[in-house]
Amino acid sequence: MGALETVLLASAILFGVTLVFATLLGVAKEKLRVEEDPRIALVNEALPAANCGGCGFAGCADFAKAVVEQRAECTGCPVGGSKTAERIAQILGVEVVRTYPYRPVIHCRAKRSDKLGIVPYEGVASCVEANVVGVTQGCTYGCLGYGDCVRACAYDAMRMEEDLPVIDYDKCTGCGACVRACPRNIIEQIPFKQERMLVIACANKEPVKCVKAVCKVGCIGCGLCQRLFADLFRVENNLAYLNYDNYTGENDEGNETLQKVLQKCPADVMVYFGKPKAQYAEQLAREEAGHPV
Amino acid sequence: MSVDLGVMFGLFLSVVLVNNLVFQGFLGICPFLGVSRKLDMAFGMGCAVTFVITMAGVITWCIMHFVLHPVAGWALGDPRALNFLQYVAFIMVIASMVQLVEMYLKKFFPPLYTALGVFLPLITTNCAILGACLYIYMKDETQQLLNALIYAFGGGIGFAIAIVIMAGIREHIRFSRVPRPLQGAGISLLIAGILALAFTGFTGIGK
Repeated sequence: MGALETVLLASAILFGVTLVFATLLGVAKEKLRVEEDPRIALVNEALPAANCGGCGFAGCADFAKAVVEQRAECTGCPVGGSKTAERIAQILGVEVVRTYPYRPVIHCRAKRSDKLGIVPYEGVASCVEANVVGVTQGCTYGCLGYGDCVRACAYDAMRMEEDLPVIDYDKCTGCGACVRACPRNIIEQIPFKQERMLVIACANKEPVKCVKAVCKVGCIGCGLCQRLFADLFRVENNLAYLNYDNYTGENDEGNETLQKVLQKCPADVMVYFGKPKAQYAEQLAREEAGHPV
Repeated sequence: MSVDLGVMFGLFLSVVLVNNLVFQGFLGICPFLGVSRKLDMAFGMGCAVTFVITMAGVITWCIMHFVLHPVAGWALGDPRALNFLQYVAFIMVIASMVQLVEMYLKKFFPPLYTALGVFLPLITTNCAILGACLYIYMKDETQQLLNALIYAFGGGIGFAIAIVIMAGIREHIRFSRVPRPLQGAGISLLIAGILALAFTGFTGIGK
């Protein structure tokens, strides 16, 4: 028996077996067909495919399914922002309200030199561990400065400068990993209506005396901003809050009341995060980023 | 063809404990390490592999005994002349089986389908299944269809036991302080090695 016969026989057998299984699979495909909403695939295509989990679902495909099944809002993708939301809304045939990309800001501006009551700490250089120890610095609300948020960032968008994280908003996708990493919950995602947003950079809820004892730049809860501009500012538990529903970020410089607040704030806790507008970029270039105005 | 319960039981025990595919054959390590993070997922994976391995074992046995051997014997004079085809044919059978299982799960058990995710297609190239099918051909006892079925099923059960034990340990490991260089894959491989060592204790049971 020759080699040629063996080869021919082998091919014939494989061909036959393949044919049987192909037929079987073809029948099974028809019998076991699952009706899937075609919009799921369309929505999935419209998503950024970063699979970061920032929306709270296990990846983009899961989110797409949830949106189509109306378990999630079409604005739920923090990475894609309004563009993605519009496209999803188009696919689903619903109206979408204008949304803004959510980006993290840090409610603390105390650099190492601003902090008081620092205790030498030789433990593991991680915020979570230092937070458990609890006495590495005077302020029990502010940034610990060991960079858990920087390590959590998958997009290389954060770095530490003088024990304070600095966010590169060109690289940031708003996935919220830093927000989850911070043991003190001082990183918050706010709607970036403009390239540059005003932020109350303090999280200390203690009364004035206690704040002054632990920080040079903490909010003392004097309530001045609330008295001057109640639409925008509110003071609760000795801490000022900015209402981002009313704050647009447009024309801050022309808003006299806001300028007055910024000038009069005795603690200098109001800080701009993000990129300055073009016309002020040159003027601000000489100052540090995130400097109080 | 006589049914020998003793042989069958010995075969089953042997492939589940003594010659466990994972711990003694070092087959199927990829899903063994990949899907053993959570107990319920590991159990699902074990069930899927058991199902596929049993079906594949029986079908490959049939292909071997009803297609390859008779055809080779009739056309070439030697029943074993086409044995080189078994790898290709077996892989094809397994791949088709996995496709079938995937469709079945998607239709009837969507949660399990989403939980297994990427690992279900991975069964296609799971060497535990191909290994079991090839062992079936090599062993003397499994030249009977019933014994082959028992052997394949036992192989799947052995894999399921291995992956469930592994998942149970790994769920506990999460709460212990693992030295930094060993975190993740390192400690998993160490556990797998120790488990394999522990399973050598079964040597001598049965045949």
